[in-house]
Amino acid sequence: MFGTVRVENLSKTYQVRQRKGLFKSQKTSVEALKGVTMEVHAGEIFGLLGPNGAGKTTLIKILTTLLLPTSGDAWVNGYRIGRQENQVRATVGCMLMGERGLYWKLTGRENLEYFGALYHLSLNERRRRAQEIIDLLSLKDISERTVETYSSGQKMNLAFGKALINDAPLLVLDEPTNTLDVPSASELRAIVRDLNAQGKTVIYTTHIMAEAETLCDRVAIIDYGRLLALGTINELKTSIERSQVTRIEGVISSKAVAAVRRLADVEQVTRTAKDGGDLLTVVTRNSHQILPQLIAVLSEAGAAIQKITPEEVTLEDVFIAKTGRTLAEDTRER
Amino acid sequence: MDIRVPSLRSNSSVLIASMRMRLMTISRYPGQLVLDIIIPIVFAAMPILLGRATSGANAGVIFAQNTGTSNYVAYMLIGSSVFTIVSFAFWHIAYWLRWEQETGTLEALYLSPTARIWVVAGTALYSCLRSLFSALAAYLLGSFILGVKPFEGEVGLAFLFILSGLVPLYGLTLLFGAVVLKVKEANALINLMQWGVSFLMGIFFPIAVFPPLLRTLALLFPPTWMTNGVRAALLGVGYFFQEWYLDLAVLWAFLLVAPLFGYWVFANVETSVRRNEGVGQF
Repeated sequence: MFGTVRVENLSKTYQVRQRKGLFKSQKTSVEALKGVTMEVHAGEIFGLLGPNGAGKTTLIKILTTLLLPTSGDAWVNGYRIGRQENQVRATVGCMLMGERGLYWKLTGRENLEYFGALYHLSLNERRRRAQEIIDLLSLKDISERTVETYSSGQKMNLAFGKALINDAPLLVLDEPTNTLDVPSASELRAIVRDLNAQGKTVIYTTHIMAEAETLCDRVAIIDYGRLLALGTINELKTSIERSQVTRIEGVISSKAVAAVRRLADVEQVTRTAKDGGDLLTVVTRNSHQILPQLIAVLSEAGAAIQKITPEEVTLEDVFIAKTGRTLAEDTRER
Repeated sequence: MDIRVPSLRSNSSVLIASMRMRLMTISRYPGQLVLDIIIPIVFAAMPILLGRATSGANAGVIFAQNTGTSNYVAYMLIGSSVFTIVSFAFWHIAYWLRWEQETGTLEALYLSPTARIWVVAGTALYSCLRSLFSALAAYLLGSFILGVKPFEGEVGLAFLFILSGLVPLYGLTLLFGAVVLKVKEANALINLMQWGVSFLMGIFFPIAVFPPLLRTLALLFPPTWMTNGVRAALLGVGYFFQEWYLDLAVLWAFLLVAPLFGYWVFANVETSVRRNEGVGQF
């Protein structure tokens, strides 16, 4: 069925060489995906969240036939990956490599028309479709210039346009707002919403929580190759509703963070930099009860507290609760 | 949504679009086209000038005994021009693949429902046009500069040998492309290959001077038959099997085998790469 994706127990292991000096290297295996099972429903905007190296891009690359899985199965638009690859490719529009994947010596229009040919559009269809995309994305002023003269944001816009060339029922967008300025990113999200309203299913990877929260109908959180959570934003928030979040700003040492972690009833603790100081996010069962203890422990450990705010659960908090880390942390360093 | 079933017409359209796209790209580097013509002349001039500087009174006789012609300059110029076609074929396919890998467009190609063979064929057609133009222009200009009559002998037959050699040649470039896909390196490989290819196809000497094992190896290489066929047609150096049609038949046998073998290897390497890191990793 068009617009649907079904993934069953999908795993991917890479063989990589670890370099050891000039001539030595050692072959090792990296498990990028570990038994992921999930479904994307027709007509929804489905967010894939995870830090760099979590396995999102590997999953996307398997679903778009760029990689073969080590084990497991997947169906995209009703077609089985690894078996019906051309059907999968014909029914998916992809933006995977940001501003890469464009011919820099060709103009924007020439790029769109060339990719149209690769999707077997006739010459007239290619020209019509390229013009529609140029109009939709307001690329008219730059469409006759070679891509090498484009700004980063303009290249991203064109790459997004390239994903629309075959008018596919399923769009796979891998961090499409990277390098876009705030108004352009907001414009692109509005176009994604419009396309979704016209019936297209969208798989949207991002590491910007606010973007996922405002755009996505359902979200999957992936980390270390595993699917940690899946549901609507509300379902995910409800899943940790018994928990409460307290944010503490100030100068907070690692020793203080460790002391907080040792407290009973503390579920997750993360520390990030904020305005030259630290921001501690503490997920607890009952923030009011634990607050005096929290302040005491932090003070004892030498922390200088500037501000304490108990807050509602956000998607970021869900992510922290599920992974124990913030999205800014890099999974590749492990 | 209707799935578009690729037809011969739409696949041919991909082939034309791929060729046109690459022609448009190179048209934006006009200096490169000029260099394409000059390089083969410089390449031929080196052994010609060396020969002139070192040859004795009976050098022409000895050269004719070994090669079948005393037209030393034309012999070198033909070798260099045919080598241009062969070398460009390897450069264009290998460098194209590597360039697409590095710029991310290779992944974009793999995301489309087009069979890769049509894109490769479009690129090969572009390469053929560019290399034939360069080789012909270099041959004519080189003939003018070095005082050679360019169209003596059987010109049509010489063209037939070149055209017949192009298909197996691009079949071989697929083998080379498979190596580039796997090892993610093009420049060093091409530089190494250039010497090996020029040596084996005998651009500056007849392969009759090779020891038997090396001669057999050279005869397994289609460009050797191409080079000798052109020289035999234009200069009368003699065919390997005495008759032109027998030599041409060998090239046509390569024409059937080399592309199929090349594509089979390429497809297998491609699958192996997709099993591990993917085609886009560079």
